[in-house]
Amino acid sequence: MSNSAVSLYLDPQIRDWVLFPITLVMILVGILRHYVVLLLQSPPKKLPREAIREQRAMARAQILRATSANSPIPPVYYQSISRHLSETFEAGTYLKDGPPRDGDAPKMPANPMTDPAAMDGMMSGMKTQMVMMVPQMVIMGWINFFFQGFVLIKLPFPLTLGFKSMLQRGVETQDMDVRWVSSLSWYFLNFFGLNGLYRLILGGDNSADSSRDMTATPFAAAPAGPQDYNKLFKAEKDNLEFSEGLYKWIGEGVEDRVLSRYHKI
Amino acid sequence: MSLSSALEQLAIYRANNVRASQETFEHASVILKSAQQLGDDGWAVLEQLFLASVDIGRLDVADRCLKQLSDKFRDSPRVDVLAGIRMEATESTDVVLQYYGQLLEADPANAAVWKRKISVLRRTGKIDKAVEELSELLDTFYTDVEGWLELADIYTTCNRYSAALQALSHALLLAPQNPFYVLQFAETAYTAGDLPLALKTFLVVVDMCERDLDSPADKPPAGISLRAWMGIKLSSRRLMVNSHPSPSNTVIPKNLHLIEELATERVLAAYSSKGRKPEGRDVVVRWVGVA
Repeated sequence: MSNSAVSLYLDPQIRDWVLFPITLVMILVGILRHYVVLLLQSPPKKLPREAIREQRAMARAQILRATSANSPIPPVYYQSISRHLSETFEAGTYLKDGPPRDGDAPKMPANPMTDPAAMDGMMSGMKTQMVMMVPQMVIMGWINFFFQGFVLIKLPFPLTLGFKSMLQRGVETQDMDVRWVSSLSWYFLNFFGLNGLYRLILGGDNSADSSRDMTATPFAAAPAGPQDYNKLFKAEKDNLEFSEGLYKWIGEGVEDRVLSRYHKI
Repeated sequence: MSLSSALEQLAIYRANNVRASQETFEHASVILKSAQQLGDDGWAVLEQLFLASVDIGRLDVADRCLKQLSDKFRDSPRVDVLAGIRMEATESTDVVLQYYGQLLEADPANAAVWKRKISVLRRTGKIDKAVEELSELLDTFYTDVEGWLELADIYTTCNRYSAALQALSHALLLAPQNPFYVLQFAETAYTAGDLPLALKTFLVVVDMCERDLDSPADKPPAGISLRAWMGIKLSSRRLMVNSHPSPSNTVIPKNLHLIEELATERVLAAYSSKGRKPEGRDVVVRWVGVA
């Protein structure tokens, strides 16, 4: 083992013309990518008023329910709000397209491919995905083409044999010390390790780091299909009835609480 | 005044939403010349200075701020609102309403413009239109506490107390931790003549405010809890004379006389602190004694 380590001598030219360029190119590509993504980002789409109303109608019931066990409002008001919400949920007043008419076939969940709104979200996800995939593929091709089988650097600490596949990808040598790092492995180390540097240069929420996108799919940007608010409203109606059973006004017995605090009763 | 201390003061005003227009104007004028060097903070200061100078009538300064802001942020809805405020200062309300109408047509979900429009409607006496628009706004943006309070305020000025109570109950749901809204609810209920409900809600205020005190009896009540105690005294005294019917079917507490005694004690405690003679003491003692 020690024999082979001594016998290997790296040309300083490799350091100057391979190791540094690979690192530099990867850093620059990351920074470039950050700015390209900024350019590609379309401004958040404005929702029409009806859509916002539909989205937020659920929140009304949730706010009412959140405090129902110790509600700040007296029973009359609680019940009137609760009933009103139940009725409107039942009638579908809050639905974007108006209440469903009798005899309407229950709407099939629309295919995201035909819905332009969902398509937009998917496209923007694809675009960022492309911006990350293309340069990484180019760099990898570049390294594979010019520097295949290069050994670039020797780590200053010993490692176990398990790291061999990680550090010496592209160099099929059984006996070489694990401390030597091949060009392709150096690429991968940079790929996963440069995020800290980007954060230093570009700030916290940069989009230069491409390893993060590896796990994200372009379809994750769009929620799982358009939501069927009618169904959600019907479910929320049950929840409302349930909390009406739990309801207790905070003013109930408050006089006893105050009096006992002053030791009057 | 140095630049940094002026900036700090302005940031405090901004964070606490203080309407100290004259002071803001003085502090910010120092900064105006060097607004470009301040970076991103400068724009917030510029907006603040704009609002302050409109408030104190220095429209020349306001125009300069607005010019800089609209040069920097084209098509920004926030600057559009500022331009609307500038128009409100000089133009007739019809022109302003038309301007807001155009903005709303372009983007119906722009809450800031919508609220400005409602405030202009209310100011020009078109109360019915204002209430209608405000209800629609709150139907869309339910979580707007300010909006609910404004609606309650409009209803109160029109003597529609039960409607005001309904609006306030939404505000209470949205901010259950704020005793000032509870106090407002209680006082509105008192004005509406629902004395049992008012009494209960005043007690809730006291309960909220004195929850963290170990021995509340040792310390005279102050501020909001004193006001609540006075409310308790008022409503319990009237309830002892004759039992008012409650539109909200609130039960009158059975220990009414105990509560009344305690309220008298607490109100007097606030006005009999040792050492100095609090202002208006005689009036309060006479009022309490009349029972």
